Amino acid sequence: MKKNDPLSESYYYILLCLAKGANHGYGIMQMTAELSKGDVKIGSGTMYGATSNMMKKGWIREIVSNDAGFERRRQYQLTDSGLNTLRAEIQRLKRMLENAEEV
Amino acid sequence: MAKNYKYSFKLYSSWNYENELEDLNKYSERGWQLVKDGMFHRKFVKNENIRYRYQMDFRRIEDKGRYIETFREQGWEYVDSNFNVCHFFRKIYDPSLPEEEYEIFTDRESLHEMNNRWARIAFVACIFFGIMALLPGIKMIKTPSVFLLLNFITNMVVFIVLLRGFLIMRNPESKKNRRDDSIFITVFLAAVILGASGSIFLTIKRPNFQGEWISASDEVSIDNDHFVDFEVNYPDNYYLDLGIVSKKPITFKVVNENGESVYNITDSNFHEDDIRLNLKKGRYYFSMTCETSYHLSYELH
Repeated sequence: MKKNDPLSESYYYILLCLAKGANHGYGIMQMTAELSKGDVKIGSGTMYGATSNMMKKGWIREIVSNDAGFERRRQYQLTDSGLNTLRAEIQRLKRMLENAEEV
Repeated sequence: MAKNYKYSFKLYSSWNYENELEDLNKYSERGWQLVKDGMFHRKFVKNENIRYRYQMDFRRIEDKGRYIETFREQGWEYVDSNFNVCHFFRKIYDPSLPEEEYEIFTDRESLHEMNNRWARIAFVACIFFGIMALLPGIKMIKTPSVFLLLNFITNMVVFIVLLRGFLIMRNPESKKNRRDDSIFITVFLAAVILGASGSIFLTIKRPNFQGEWISASDEVSIDNDHFVDFEVNYPDNYYLDLGIVSKKPITFKVVNENGESVYNITDSNFHEDDIRLNLKKGRYYFSMTCETSYHLSYELH
């Protein structure tokens, strides 16, 4: 996927969830289901593939959180590049919506 | 006490892995739970108190910890991997949950990516076996033999089965009206086993040697006492490369065990490759008669 290609639904929601702060896979999955009122599900295979790809692209990074004190857990964090990608995608979606309203 | 484990040896094709998952789910319903998944066999353990749904993922894992954790977060238990690329997961089945809970690929793109990962491997293997079929195929035009034909057929069958798998993986929609294709996987395996063992057998049992007879002296006279014997284990076309340089004509013969010559040439300057000899099973020898200095080289293959 090139930088300006449209994001897939899963990629978009993962980035969107992480824009609110670092989260783990399960948290992203739940938040996505909540935001989309159950329309968008991110299964484990899709989640692993998407997070791996986005880490390679440098859109997100992995951090190990200790904040719960007892539970060490992998979390994902949005990078600046990831935030830019998300912003660009939102712009694109907005434009598409606006265009739809014009027609 | 009844056995509490059992094995299944059914073969599945990678491109119709859904067949295998369906069977695993059925086994689980009957109380047999998968613990090990190999290429040719699966091991199940008896446990009737639980029912699982199975899923398979195909990829090379860079970070196994993160991988397994990503699945565990959504209730998937890691079962086993096959060749480090085929990973099996299971989740406790709860009939009240929607069917989507048991999917691991929830968008078209990621399912497509998985199919493509497999298709790439199938493509490389397909090209490899295509070349492996082409080489003996081309060679066979000039020098037909059972040995080359066997190589050609084996690699061709493997090539066709892989090509079919590749095309199915490239276009998974074609699976909609899929049938049980255990016939293809059986043909595939039979071809590989028969072809490989056949090729090894024919190679070992095939005479393949070369030699030279040289004499620089004009005085020496040889009369049929130069010979090399060899055994032919199966009837086939064999090929002789022969070179003769001599002052006076040499007689070179290939003689069978009944003393009949199956090939015979008398010449003083001769060179030819791939002289076809159709030899039956049995013992043979080369013999040579010459009166003067000579140089004769031969190779049988």
